[in-house]
Amino acid sequence: MAKHRRHHNLPEVLRPNLLEDIFPHDLPPQIRFDGPVVEYIDGQPVQFDFSSVKNRDIVITDTTFRDGQQSLPPYSVDQMVKIYDLLSRLGGPNGVIRQTEFFLYTKNDRLALDRCRELGHKYPECTGWIRAVKGDFRLVREAGLRETGLLTSCSDYHIFHKLKFRSHKECMDSYCEVVQAAFDAGVRPRCHLEDVTRADIDRFVLPFADRLMEMSEGVPEELSVKIRLCDTMGFGISYPGAELPRSIPKLIYKLNHDCGVPSSRLEWHGHNDFHKVHINGATAWLYGCDALNSTLFGFGERTGNPPLEGAIIEYIALKGGLCGIDTLAITELADYMRSIGLPIPDNYPFAGRAFNVTRAGIHAGGLRQDERIYNIFDTEKLLGRPPRVAITDKSGADGIVHWVNEFFGLKGEERINKIKVHRLARWVIDQYDVEGRLTSISDQELAAKAKEFFPDYWAKYKTNV
Amino acid sequence: MATVEERVKMVTAKVLDLDPERIHPEDSFTEDLGAESVQSIELVAMFEEEFGIEMDEDAALSVTTVGGAVDFITAVCKEQGVDVD
Repeated sequence: MAKHRRHHNLPEVLRPNLLEDIFPHDLPPQIRFDGPVVEYIDGQPVQFDFSSVKNRDIVITDTTFRDGQQSLPPYSVDQMVKIYDLLSRLGGPNGVIRQTEFFLYTKNDRLALDRCRELGHKYPECTGWIRAVKGDFRLVREAGLRETGLLTSCSDYHIFHKLKFRSHKECMDSYCEVVQAAFDAGVRPRCHLEDVTRADIDRFVLPFADRLMEMSEGVPEELSVKIRLCDTMGFGISYPGAELPRSIPKLIYKLNHDCGVPSSRLEWHGHNDFHKVHINGATAWLYGCDALNSTLFGFGERTGNPPLEGAIIEYIALKGGLCGIDTLAITELADYMRSIGLPIPDNYPFAGRAFNVTRAGIHAGGLRQDERIYNIFDTEKLLGRPPRVAITDKSGADGIVHWVNEFFGLKGEERINKIKVHRLARWVIDQYDVEGRLTSISDQELAAKAKEFFPDYWAKYKTNV
Repeated sequence: MATVEERVKMVTAKVLDLDPERIHPEDSFTEDLGAESVQSIELVAMFEEEFGIEMDEDAALSVTTVGGAVDFITAVCKEQGVDVD
């Protein structure tokens, strides 16, 4: 090894290299690729060019009202309308959030769908979700929907043990009858291949996909079958070299290349049982699946689904621009969810109350010198959330002065220096050293002290408080 | 009138709760006199109050010894027209 070591010269660098093309700060950090990825499939090397994602029509689809509701008390109709309206704003006029799906079984389900459509938004397009039962197409037709999801479970756990089919053929015939019923009803079927990452790929999934493609040849393009790959238990693996059925790259390649399912008709739906949900979704995008199905804040069955807002940030990072996305709507959606009693953990990325709050004094010191040192991107511009510090005994004067400056909204030359906050800093330290406190200090407590120690600033900047 | 050194020692003794006789010009505020992070800020604030001056935060906090503080404060007083002779 030592013989082949490369020597690396240390050039004289007098100006910082901030890599601003990758970390522009007014956008999330960019994801760039510098070469193809090679995956061995059936013993043959296959190249994937991830950079092509920039030019593909990748989209986000939403299942907040379907899978998202399976883990929560039901939303009221008004709540669904509000969320739909904000989803439309978030995804923007280019339809980055392309579709959202609704249950159709109850009066409230149908009322919510009608009221959302009355808003007149082009995106997200409303689609349905029904069981693989022919009679359910009446609901889809009556609702006037052009597309619906159908449950077509495909692992043998489901085929034999849940649905009690006696063979793969019997199961496939049954599913295909329902697909034909969709065609007959003039509704595009989106087959949800439940539990696909635990399925018999060669002996069920691929033959089923072949048959769906054959059936699609006989109908107009707008009715042709879409396939949603449902990683029902979160078993999917993103790593190259992983074997089927868990390999997301191989699964997508086989459907895309071997079965001829176009990328535009492939969708990934994940679950977070193994903490892989977001990266698995992004992996599906990169390997040729155009649609990533997600829910707001990852709310969904058990451990949840790919978080929609995470997919939005990933989208911007891959595309290199906002593409019409209104990221501020993420914060409005988070505030709204909290207001209706749905908890978002404080440290939850992009939306939790403390996602960009530091408690470490040394980080606060960095923030004070240059926000970019400890803020992931311009969270004030993109999310309406400037970086903040939470005050504990570890905050130090740097943390306290940052809090004071943010609290009074002081910018540039107006900002108070550390020396001026010494009385507040002393009060904070005494809370822990003298009073024996073990909890963080709330903003309300600090505000009261700020009023006491900085009466002039209070009078100038907080007269309306 | 007390000298700058005497006044610096007096403020230091008060902030760090020490006997002024124990404080020497070569003493480091942190290593010898045990000043903690917040006490360093308090020292600078109290020096400003004692001498009626305003000090640059970074420059003031980079002073490490009592003697260094005497020199630094003397220079700032001179700059800002504060008579300490």
